[in-house]
Amino acid sequence: MSSIKESKNILKWSDTVELVDNLRVDEVGLKERVASLASRSIKKDSKLQALNYIISMCDLTTLEGEDTEGKIGQMTAKAIRPDPSNDEVPSVAAVCVYPALVSKAKEMTRNSNVKVASVSSYFPSGQAPLESKILDTQFAIDQGADEIDIVINRKAFFEGDYRKMYDEIVALKEVCKSVHLKTILEVGELRTYENIKKASLISLAAGSDFIKTSTGKISNGSSREACYLMAKAVWDYKTVTGFKAGIKVAGGIRDSKDAIRYLVIVNEELGSEWLNPDYFRFGASSLVDDVLKQIKKLKTNAYQSSYYFPRG
Amino acid sequence: MNEIKKTYKNYVGGKYVRSESGKTFRIDLKNDFYEVPLTSRKDIRDAVVAAKKGYSNWQKLSPYNKTQVLYRLSEMLEGNFETYQQLLQDAGLTKAKASEDIHKAVDTIIWYAGMADKWEQMTGNLNPVAGDFFNISHQESLGVVFTLNSNNQSLNSLLLNMLPALTVGCAVISFNEENSVIALKLAEDINNSDLPGGALNIMSGKFELLIEDVSNHVEITAMAIYKEINNHDKKIIKENASKSLKRIFINPPTMGLEALFPFIETKTVWHPKGR
Repeated sequence: MSSIKESKNILKWSDTVELVDNLRVDEVGLKERVASLASRSIKKDSKLQALNYIISMCDLTTLEGEDTEGKIGQMTAKAIRPDPSNDEVPSVAAVCVYPALVSKAKEMTRNSNVKVASVSSYFPSGQAPLESKILDTQFAIDQGADEIDIVINRKAFFEGDYRKMYDEIVALKEVCKSVHLKTILEVGELRTYENIKKASLISLAAGSDFIKTSTGKISNGSSREACYLMAKAVWDYKTVTGFKAGIKVAGGIRDSKDAIRYLVIVNEELGSEWLNPDYFRFGASSLVDDVLKQIKKLKTNAYQSSYYFPRG
Repeated sequence: MNEIKKTYKNYVGGKYVRSESGKTFRIDLKNDFYEVPLTSRKDIRDAVVAAKKGYSNWQKLSPYNKTQVLYRLSEMLEGNFETYQQLLQDAGLTKAKASEDIHKAVDTIIWYAGMADKWEQMTGNLNPVAGDFFNISHQESLGVVFTLNSNNQSLNSLLLNMLPALTVGCAVISFNEENSVIALKLAEDINNSDLPGGALNIMSGKFELLIEDVSNHVEITAMAIYKEINNHDKKIIKENASKSLKRIFINPPTMGLEALFPFIETKTVWHPKGR
């Protein structure tokens, strides 16, 4: 376990227990705060800046059984140059694919800043033995993945075996080494706000660089409340350990307005230093299209059709 | 007993909605007045989103099914004969004229209902070409169409303005000014006729407030203007529309096959014949 001690962002289990013990969330206060943040009005120049931020923070994602190398090629081209008619629009942060398609994505992005993220650990259910998850993750890394998105062991979590959930993340972190590790909580399945915060803290304590809301595979994906709680967890964790973790929101964020509200939450709860792709990401497939439409609207004053933007 | 006065609302995406601005404007009919929604720029944007969705759902119906839906609209409308008669009388028509107008409106719907599964045969063609190919010209609907309806206090002319685009499978945002009351009343029958939500949206307001937004909106593929507008407005519309290659039709025909032409475009397909 020597490598764990070296990794400064891992908290010992005994300290982790202390962190999540007796955790309570004020539901009414939480909802009010999130609703009031959602009412901020972001217009004109600030809106344009926010929209460009969103593009640069996107993990353009395709996680389907029907994915082919051709589809990855198309999506990666879009990731590098989201709007070919406007070179002020930045590249997205990363493309996110299944392990089998990492090498193709890597080949396509070799001359760009776009990173390749791979889901692993038997995404989206995580119902597999740890040995298999390690193999899955190791394969993705060998293929060249820069970032790894794993799912927490919800089975262990709901059975109350938090230690097992923690140990699995620690084991996968060991496989990842310096590769960026994002841990998916699947907040839609966690049911209560306490569970979301608890899972966030355990995932952070086990060495996650990022915590992520959802797999995008269930109908209730991300929510602003979950993002708020995760921001709180990140802050708490930073207070205890000094480690600055990131947040990725994914699942059901389809329009710019909604995405901007997430930026507001992060800015208010964590500060503007979190407003960059190293600390905040959107997992998205259709969001990019809407943001591109809005950016063009601000430039031309005409509402746009996604027909005129690249597919991918 | 006091009369309960009806508040008419816009009909967008299969739902009755007030203007998000909360604003209304007053329509003075000869014998009565109404407050109807003053559609805002945001309402139009929302309507385009709804129409886009409605377009794909309306497209999913077979032509035969479209015919049935439109025919049902005529049944619904006839069932409310007396309400329409009263509204038209309030607007200044005589009882006989009102009744004649409604009968004509029913005939109009039935004519268009009949066309819904026939126009494709009538406009498409197998072209003669020198080679072992079938060369087929096939017509497709344009997409989301904005219609600015005439100000006539007439149910029939209202239907003549919205049905051509709808019949060929377009989603229609039907915009009304002086005839808004009768148009918004019609929305209730449209809602009862199994038309997919968003395929036909009925809105009331002042076009002059929305001229820039509508003519600039890239997602609106065509605008049909069925009322007189001044040259200044025409110029604005045409200039803005040119940026997104939007089709503009000013006073297009309203009956006959040629009424459908503005809302369709030709796709030509080459297919090997084999031997």
